[in-house]
Amino acid sequence: MEERPRAVLLKFPGTNCDEETARALEVVGFSTEIVPISALTTEALDGVKLVMLSGGFSYGDYVMSGRLARLVTEQKIDGALKEFRDNGGYLLGICNGFQILTQLGLLPEGSLVENTSGRFQCQWVKMKKQADCPFLTLLPDEFELPMAHAEGRLVTMTAEDAEKYRENGAAAVTYNEDVNGSFEHIAGLQDETGRVFGMMPHPERFLYREDHYDPDWENPAGSDEEKWGSGYYLFRSLYESVTSSN
Amino acid sequence: MRKTFEISDRYIEPGHADELLYEPLGGDLTFRRTRRYEIEFKRGKSKLEAFIEKTLRDPISQELHEGEDPALDDFSFVLEYGMKPGALDLEKEAILTYYRGIEDPGFELKELSIRQRIYVFGGGSDKSDRFIRDICNYAIHNWSVIQG
Repeated sequence: MEERPRAVLLKFPGTNCDEETARALEVVGFSTEIVPISALTTEALDGVKLVMLSGGFSYGDYVMSGRLARLVTEQKIDGALKEFRDNGGYLLGICNGFQILTQLGLLPEGSLVENTSGRFQCQWVKMKKQADCPFLTLLPDEFELPMAHAEGRLVTMTAEDAEKYRENGAAAVTYNEDVNGSFEHIAGLQDETGRVFGMMPHPERFLYREDHYDPDWENPAGSDEEKWGSGYYLFRSLYESVTSSN
Repeated sequence: MRKTFEISDRYIEPGHADELLYEPLGGDLTFRRTRRYEIEFKRGKSKLEAFIEKTLRDPISQELHEGEDPALDDFSFVLEYGMKPGALDLEKEAILTYYRGIEDPGFELKELSIRQRIYVFGGGSDKSDRFIRDICNYAIHNWSVIQG
């Protein structure tokens, strides 16, 4: 039997999307293990292809979202995630996971701060691919996903930095309109290797067609694929990238 | 030794103050939030400052204001509130747990106090009681008001 690539999902106090994210990863072909941060060691990453940081409210979003998760991760395994990436590993951060990846310095410099609305926003958003990204290859140029966050507004040190991210492909995916005040409407960032990617919307919540709010939603990939939602293609793209780079 | 500082957000625009109240006041009052930290410590001032920068401030989106003076200007009043002594402050506990996990922090953290500040702008200093009533929880918070 073909061996499935291994994914480790880090679980912090307050992470709450790990189960459904693990399910999504297993559906596309990964084997998964949820590892509480208290049990994390550098050895836990041996043989792992993907480190997944799922959504939630790690450490209650105290101080700022993702900050304490970053500090505790550094305390536990220091630079092991950077080494993991440098050795060919993939990292995916969704929502709070994206916030943690930015805090860890694994993505281009930026911060995710309170939405301009000042509120938690839970809604579906239309998004657009802006660059080649191994996490997005099977998605159409435009797609829809649900988002649910209070601190999802991507800001950079200067507005020019965000423009640069649009130009150099770091801003792999953007919102079609201004939903939360993100500079350049950025919804997700990738690093220069393309193996680290984070975004605010939740692909694991649109794995199947019936997850969509519109019962008549049609999969643009055609009737053979009608079972799946857009989120499936993100995880499937990731799986194909991981297995093809072995 | 004691150190006091306040963290404000660079990118967050003032919100309408009615958003903080159960019953809108009307008018043009706006607000901004900051966090204020008071730290009692022994030795290692520079290590403590590095700890603060690393732990409590985001260099991209936040500014750090040191000292007792309010970080923002031209306010009508400031409502400062925090947990009463003895009430469980989860943010404080999370920071202290992280501090205790540092092998050699280079300073000794004796006491940490976290206060939230709400700056209200645009007049209405006599309305602070409404904000106290709707924001503070008498069971767990204590508070003070700084008039502008």
